Amino acid sequence: MMARLRLQILMAVVLLGSCGVASCYGLEDDVFLERVVPVFQARCLECHRSDLSKGDFSLENATSFFEDGYVEKGDSENSHLFELISPQGNHRAEMPKNGSPLTEDQIESIRVWIDSGAQWPDGYELTYDAKVARPLDYDWWSFQSLVKPAVPGLVDSPNRHWIRTPVDAFVLEALERKKLAPSEEANRRTLIRRLSYDLTGLPPTIAEVKAFEQDDSEDAYERLVERLLASPRYGERWARHWLDVVKYADTCGYDKDKLRPNAWPYRDYVIRSFNEDKPYRRFVQEQIAGDALFPGTEDGILGLGFIAAGPWDFIGHVEVPESKLDGRVARNLDRDDMVSNTFNSFCSLTVQCARCHDHKFDPITQEHYYRLQAIFAAVDRADRVYAVDPQVEKQRKALKNKISKSEKSLAKLDEQLNRSGGSALVKLREKISALKDESKKPEFGYHSKVESKQDTLKWVEIELDQPDSVKQIVLHGAHDEFNNIGAGFGFPLRFRVEVNGRTIFDRETADFPNPGVTPIVIPVSEPLKSVRLVATKLAKRKADYHLALAEIELLNSHGENVAATGKVNALDSIEAPVRWGKANLNDGIWFESSGETRKELQGDLDAIVLSLIGASGVERKASFEKQIAETRKALSQLPTGKKVYAAATEFKSQGNFKATQGKPRPVYFLPRGEVSSPGERLEPGIIPLSTEGKVGAAIQSGESEAMARSKLALWLTDKNNPLLWRSVVNRIWHYHFGRGIVETPNDFGRMGGERSHPELLDWLAATFRDGGESVSAESFKDLHRLIVTSSVYRQSSNYSGNGTTADSGNRYLWRMNRRRLSAEEIRDSILHASGLLNLEMGGPGYYLFQLEKTEHSPHYEYHKFDHTDPKSYRRSIYRFIVRSQPDPFMTTLDCADSSQSTPARNETQTPLQSLTMLNSDFSLEMSKKFAERIELESKDPSERIERVFQQALGRDPTVSELPMMRDFVQQHGLVNLIRVVFNLSEFVFVD
Amino acid sequence: MAIDLIRRKFLFDSAWGFGSLALLDLLNSERRSVANPDGRQEVTSGVLHHPPKAKRVVQLFMAGAASHIDLFDYKPALEKHHGEPSDFGEKVEAFQNGLGPWMKSPFQFRPYGESGKMLSDAVADLGSCVDEMAFIHNMTGKTGVHSQATYLQATGFQRPGFPGVGSWVSYALGSENENLPAFVVLPDHRGFASNGPKNWGSAFLPTSSQGTTIFPQRERPIRDLFPKSELVTPKSHSEGLKLLDKLNRDFAMTREGDERLESRLRTYELAAKMQLSAPEALDLSSEPKHIMKMYGLDRAGAEYPESINVPEEIEYFGRKCLIARRLLERGVRYVQIWSGNDNSFPRRNWDSHEDLKREHGPLARGMARGAAALIKDLKQRGLLDDTIVLWTTEFGRMPSTQGSTGRDHNPHVFTNWLCGGGVRGGITHGESDQWGFKPLDRDNPTQVYDIHATLLHLLGLNHLKLTVRHNGIDRRLTDVHGHVIQEII
Repeated sequence: MMARLRLQILMAVVLLGSCGVASCYGLEDDVFLERVVPVFQARCLECHRSDLSKGDFSLENATSFFEDGYVEKGDSENSHLFELISPQGNHRAEMPKNGSPLTEDQIESIRVWIDSGAQWPDGYELTYDAKVARPLDYDWWSFQSLVKPAVPGLVDSPNRHWIRTPVDAFVLEALERKKLAPSEEANRRTLIRRLSYDLTGLPPTIAEVKAFEQDDSEDAYERLVERLLASPRYGERWARHWLDVVKYADTCGYDKDKLRPNAWPYRDYVIRSFNEDKPYRRFVQEQIAGDALFPGTEDGILGLGFIAAGPWDFIGHVEVPESKLDGRVARNLDRDDMVSNTFNSFCSLTVQCARCHDHKFDPITQEHYYRLQAIFAAVDRADRVYAVDPQVEKQRKALKNKISKSEKSLAKLDEQLNRSGGSALVKLREKISALKDESKKPEFGYHSKVESKQDTLKWVEIELDQPDSVKQIVLHGAHDEFNNIGAGFGFPLRFRVEVNGRTIFDRETADFPNPGVTPIVIPVSEPLKSVRLVATKLAKRKADYHLALAEIELLNSHGENVAATGKVNALDSIEAPVRWGKANLNDGIWFESSGETRKELQGDLDAIVLSLIGASGVERKASFEKQIAETRKALSQLPTGKKVYAAATEFKSQGNFKATQGKPRPVYFLPRGEVSSPGERLEPGIIPLSTEGKVGAAIQSGESEAMARSKLALWLTDKNNPLLWRSVVNRIWHYHFGRGIVETPNDFGRMGGERSHPELLDWLAATFRDGGESVSAESFKDLHRLIVTSSVYRQSSNYSGNGTTADSGNRYLWRMNRRRLSAEEIRDSILHASGLLNLEMGGPGYYLFQLEKTEHSPHYEYHKFDHTDPKSYRRSIYRFIVRSQPDPFMTTLDCADSSQSTPARNETQTPLQSLTMLNSDFSLEMSKKFAERIELESKDPSERIERVFQQALGRDPTVSELPMMRDFVQQHGLVNLIRVVFNLSEFVFVD
Repeated sequence: MAIDLIRRKFLFDSAWGFGSLALLDLLNSERRSVANPDGRQEVTSGVLHHPPKAKRVVQLFMAGAASHIDLFDYKPALEKHHGEPSDFGEKVEAFQNGLGPWMKSPFQFRPYGESGKMLSDAVADLGSCVDEMAFIHNMTGKTGVHSQATYLQATGFQRPGFPGVGSWVSYALGSENENLPAFVVLPDHRGFASNGPKNWGSAFLPTSSQGTTIFPQRERPIRDLFPKSELVTPKSHSEGLKLLDKLNRDFAMTREGDERLESRLRTYELAAKMQLSAPEALDLSSEPKHIMKMYGLDRAGAEYPESINVPEEIEYFGRKCLIARRLLERGVRYVQIWSGNDNSFPRRNWDSHEDLKREHGPLARGMARGAAALIKDLKQRGLLDDTIVLWTTEFGRMPSTQGSTGRDHNPHVFTNWLCGGGVRGGITHGESDQWGFKPLDRDNPTQVYDIHATLLHLLGLNHLKLTVRHNGIDRRLTDVHGHVIQEII
């Protein structure tokens, strides 16, 4: 069961005793209780209450309500509150900020109440209840159970012979209700072109067109449909639709827009899933929790590319740690993308609207939303291994076994050692490891300003409060791992050390060899008040000079360092915490990787060990250690299998981007979506789809993250989840007709579109879910077949009859919709017509840009790309998609923007589009290659033109066209004709 | 004013037979349904609900975060306490490690104009314009991460997927000149800032409202305006267009009633016109000497050292400003000029973590020279009255040091300034605190939503009413925020 469905912000309108409201209070109280209080509770308390108090104003009780003077009792005109809720001239009222303004009646009630003295019954308190403010309302079509409606009979219809499939019956019924009639069937040439583009994204060849035109067998159309559905081109076409929805790209987006070299296996997985006609439930489940539900399968991992498909902020994850606000903001937005991708794509539910407040229109609370975020709280987007060679796996297992055996033996030996060694050994080990840790600390030391001259004088000193009996001064050179500068960084070539202003150590006459991190010990024979290092010849950096020093130790006769009690002064300092600063000179931290102390300690340790286990024991120990190291090396050299960019809980760290190892990050309820002021921590949970909230499996507290995702996947694909089935059939319908039965494929909520054919939608959804009518359950190919063999689909797209005026937008499908080809179809068709299209499938995306400066922020230079590169002659779905710098050619043609979910492409006509089609390097290169090929194939000018028409348009030129073309070619050449042909409306539109 | 007619012809986004009309076309109709980009129908109320003060905008965007306290926001306290350990009076989360001592600006500040506004020497050229400018010193952001912050300032949302401010404006108003794009972007010649072209993408608005990039220094400044191939001659091009028109007309005739096919014919006519207009707009050869000099473009053929330097910055920024003026006077609705590219090394943007003077010096001098020239030039042509100049950046920089002479990110406070187009000059609205660390009045900062609301207001648009429904939400440029800043208009 769901843990708690809603935040239990308790509200209790305190009704006094058993007396009825009206009888206890006077008339004004009636106005207050019956008319004013409900408004306050429904429209004001959400924000104005003591625990939030926007603008420091709370409406919870009389004291807080009146204390700021927002209300003048008896005088609404001079009450600021009344001004705030009233419209000002043409401007809407300032309050309430969210949602619609108050109604005139509501404002009037408040006016009456204020004018009659604004009586507030003693002790009366208002408490916020989200349920009162906004009850969860499931009374909306998409939440209703999915029941298969009966197919309309239409026995009396004059058009009943038109009905081929149940789809036709539903559409015809609606048409007749609107007094519309279907259009005639399109001709064969139109049908094959329409079907080919729709199912495969490519045009038919002229031979295919002619064969189909001449095929008079009864099932010619059906056989064509089968051929196209069986083509691998089908998966390439329909995967593109899915990738639009899930925001697939081959780079991360945001700042830097880094490459994702392993994103493509997910793209190939989607193509393959469509070609294999994978059952839809399986397809969904693999994409949410394939790793957990189908362990050991490649698709179980590949599908998880879905969760990782969207944009990712490199800086917000890698450069900023989770401990900082910006790091948490980035991770919050990252999970938001996962949650919205899941619910927009599979359920057509805009859950992301509940990130900052309860959903304004649909029954989704903020708590629901953050529980969904919690499901994804352990996964990140990263490369994940998905396929391995079984032989290699065998080796890997063997090596791992070997390591664990050696480790066990070693552990036994160590145990024996520890038992006999006692606490002395433990302490010694601790000391050594502490030293190791210290050597890594980032507080490097003191660093002067840089100078252009080497003989600039610099000094740094430690000044004690009082003279102390210091016996030794120890100087430690700095160590900076940055750029491998290494040990002794900034140690002066010539210098002197002064104690109490008197030189006691002078190295000014000859260059001092760099000591690295070896300490320099200087004895002192007088009480020390101050020690100053004066550099007279500075160390060289790159092109300049400076002084740096990690530490000055001042050891007294007990060997204690008293430097920390003093104050560090210097001529100057760069102060770049944490690495560099004056305070680092006496902080007790310096780099000591090969320091004497550790060497000594290690010597002590070795001696103890030898005494405890003897020479043979030491030898055995060493041999185990060697074996482990060698086996590990062999293991690391084994090939690791292929990688896919997907949801992952284990991966190699990169800066602050660290794998969770399956341990979910805490997810908090965030009032107003503010990461800086988190509320209660929330456990994962699945949203209810009805007031009973019993749909789907609940997630138990403490379950693994994989289990939580599995339960989400099972819940999503439950037969009783009406959203899933309605959502997917609507998408399929949308792509076939250019417009969904619901026009907003990503939103089935109250802000979404209306249904044009509600019963048809449910009939399709139920049939797809359960099977029936020659449709196997969850088969996309069967669903396509059902739709494209209908009479609705086969209609002409011409405008005729009364539909032109009665339904000019063709909402009821009295004709087929003509459409412009998508960006991919246009590009693929140009390649196809030119005879250059390479149908090789899968693999890493090919570039359509020159890639530069990959080390930092890659530059994707489209204008420098050489379009004669045959690698780019593959289908557009295989191109490398850059998120922040998308391909200008494709973008101009309304290609999907991978920064957002694109459930429906735009279809625009612009001058820039015309310029691109006419002048782009790609169009011209293809025109050239196309012309060269035709000129080789034929010498006859008319035949050449015929071939161009056949290959580009799938028809012969008409008698009137041919002479015109010949004249043009004679004057301007075939290339120029082809350039024109690519720009024909006939080329880019499908009837 | 013939804008609506031109506009109708220009924007041929056609979905399912409804011409998606520019909102300006709705000027005279109270309520009317149009198809939005998803092809769905929606009702939009008349949007231009008050007479506009401005018709066009030029936005100067400083990528990498330009320091307010080293350019426009004078802080005597930093001079007084220079070198002392910084104390913000609260725990501060620095983006990197920039909480060193207070650091005064490496640039001197001096008063300018009648308003006596203090400007740093790095932007001294703008001194002669201060009485036209309105400064907002209490801008606050939401994040110190460049990409998110740049998105926020450029699109009003801190994540990808939203239209640029110029896209909203051109979606609503269209172009005043059908032969030029409505929204033009002049990126830094060295490359794109964070997020690249997504800062001016159309997202869910029609593609035609996206920013068209112009790279004046490239062989082909506007992509695909002309064919590169020698196979196409001017003659074959124009004859080809004639043939195309005939064939497309025949095709449309047999498919009566489909407006898109008609629109398509027109897009080719406009494309041809654009081929004439655009090069003319970019051609500076007709500009007189004194104008070239004003923009710092009087050193033709000069060569520059590899390290960042003032003369080079002046030339590149000045050229973009002059081209902007030419575009604006030819009816382009929104021009966006970028200064600074991505965060690669050596730095060529405003992200001065290491050495503020090194980048801010040349970048600011180059920017100030070009911006000042643009303002004065617009003014002398009478264009400043209805052209808004807006100067923005993604956030500010800390008053404390990072390293010895750099500054870390400061998302808490930064500066914007506006001028022209109905903006009151010579004023400052909103102050930062004595250090330039946070807004002086922390409860009432200015946000990008307010800037955008004001911009739209001056253009005659109500930011609350300019909405497009996308994936279940009525999207606005200003999300659920924004107030018109009455004090500056």
